[in-house]
Amino acid sequence: MSRLNRREFLKLAGLASMMAILPRAVSAATTAPRVVVCGGGFGGATVAKYIRMWGGNVDVTLVEPNASHISCILSNLVVTGQISMGRINIGYSSLVQKHGVNLVQGKAIDIDPNGRTVGVETKDGVIDLPYDHLVLAPGIDFMPADGNWNTEMTPHAWQAGPQTTLLKKQLAAVPNFGTFVMTVPKAPYRCPPGPYERACVVADYLKRKRRNTKVIVLDANPGITAEPDGFGRAFNQTYAGIIQYIPNANVTEIDSASKRIVTSAGTFTGNVLNYIPNQKAGRLVVDAGLANDATGRWAAVDPLTYGSTLYPEIHVIGDSQATGQPKSGHMANSQAKVCADAIVRALNGEAPDPNPVTASACYSPITSKSASWLTVNYQYNSQTGLMQRVESSFGEAASANGDNFEDMFTWAESMFADSFA
Amino acid sequence: MNRLYKSPPLLAGIAVLLAFSQTSLAAPPAGQLLASQCAQCHGTNGSGPGFDDIDGESAGELFHELLEMKNRRVESIMDKQARGYTDAQLLDIANYLAGQSNAAANTVSGTTKTSVKNKRNTD
Repeated sequence: MSRLNRREFLKLAGLASMMAILPRAVSAATTAPRVVVCGGGFGGATVAKYIRMWGGNVDVTLVEPNASHISCILSNLVVTGQISMGRINIGYSSLVQKHGVNLVQGKAIDIDPNGRTVGVETKDGVIDLPYDHLVLAPGIDFMPADGNWNTEMTPHAWQAGPQTTLLKKQLAAVPNFGTFVMTVPKAPYRCPPGPYERACVVADYLKRKRRNTKVIVLDANPGITAEPDGFGRAFNQTYAGIIQYIPNANVTEIDSASKRIVTSAGTFTGNVLNYIPNQKAGRLVVDAGLANDATGRWAAVDPLTYGSTLYPEIHVIGDSQATGQPKSGHMANSQAKVCADAIVRALNGEAPDPNPVTASACYSPITSKSASWLTVNYQYNSQTGLMQRVESSFGEAASANGDNFEDMFTWAESMFADSFA
Repeated sequence: MNRLYKSPPLLAGIAVLLAFSQTSLAAPPAGQLLASQCAQCHGTNGSGPGFDDIDGESAGELFHELLEMKNRRVESIMDKQARGYTDAQLLDIANYLAGQSNAAANTVSGTTKTSVKNKRNTD
């Protein structure tokens, strides 16, 4: 396939760069450093916005295949029909219009780390975007078990959008005496409390709308991996008789046609099979050979810059990186700011901040009216070179309640705006 | 190409670029990166949307509140968040956020007496 160069592409796409048509008097501006960001989720959007806010004259291009971002945050409430899809559908217009980010709708397919270009498949062909710094925020990819997994029949709904709608439809079709079977992937995976949250809101829905239903939670881990007190209470008390929690259930085989799943804790079938597989870094990171941690699944990075240990000017933030911090939208936003600050400093010939702090906080609905929260901060440890959890900052809500449920929407609104607006 | 010179939006864009390129030469202000970690819940630069606006308070008020949250019994999510920072980091955050609102005489003493606004703390 023939490739367009960037100038040809911009002309084609009607994006004629201001740099290219500036009068000679300000031609110095054409030397603006170029940052390309691949992936427009919480991490990618935030890094693009904050480099523009903090970096001044930096040419930032965001590459994203979708026209808007559908947030995983709050998406379990779309599954139960409590909120609409529109509420979690976030556009990129503020990034472009308010912050001056160039948006290229396309899929980043390959990276030339020596030539410092990234290939992007667009509707007009494949283009090569040159960069001084490249930020990869592609989220997750799945590692499904053997068998015959068809996502059109057996949703994961772990990347929000059409999958969310499919799971919503399947949940709505569960009859009285029906069974909803779901899995919890082996840690680390995207959104540690997320699967337990889903089990709760699905159980709440079925408890309110159906008779004698069951939610079977097949957890690959030896126990509840996040908010064990709160979710333990919910499973054993709030949803006693509905949720059946089975730990140490590693999925070995899946068959979508028969809705049958084989695990180390037995074989299960249900009216709905919601299979959330084990996970690894997004495909772009893996294909570029950047998933180089001990497991070969995530990208090893320097937590002062999020630069890859292989190519320091290629940064990996959010779910794909291997620092051991939780994989969440809030954390991706947090890491994006450390990365943005480090890139801006590097462009000005300065060293990165030696003491970055990151944070993750989230609210999880437990019923249709109550929620819990989970929070943690990480500080850089210069002895180990790792981000270290601040133990006193780590913890969950004492109980699920209505105030937390209201606060959840305030948090989400703020997160969406800080990342995308 | 000549008509580009007559295009007000383009000229405005150039002015913005020049302004940016001047500011980008300075090192980032102390506390800027730390305080950006407040923005997920309080809005970019602390100015919302989100929980209590935190860009309108003096550095002294903010620092006092953050220390109180850090040291009291944990009841709200902020009491946990405050524990994630050293006192020196909290001071940098307070100074930076107070500077965002152009409030007068904002450099902190850290001893300002003020009421702590936290509606959840009385639950």
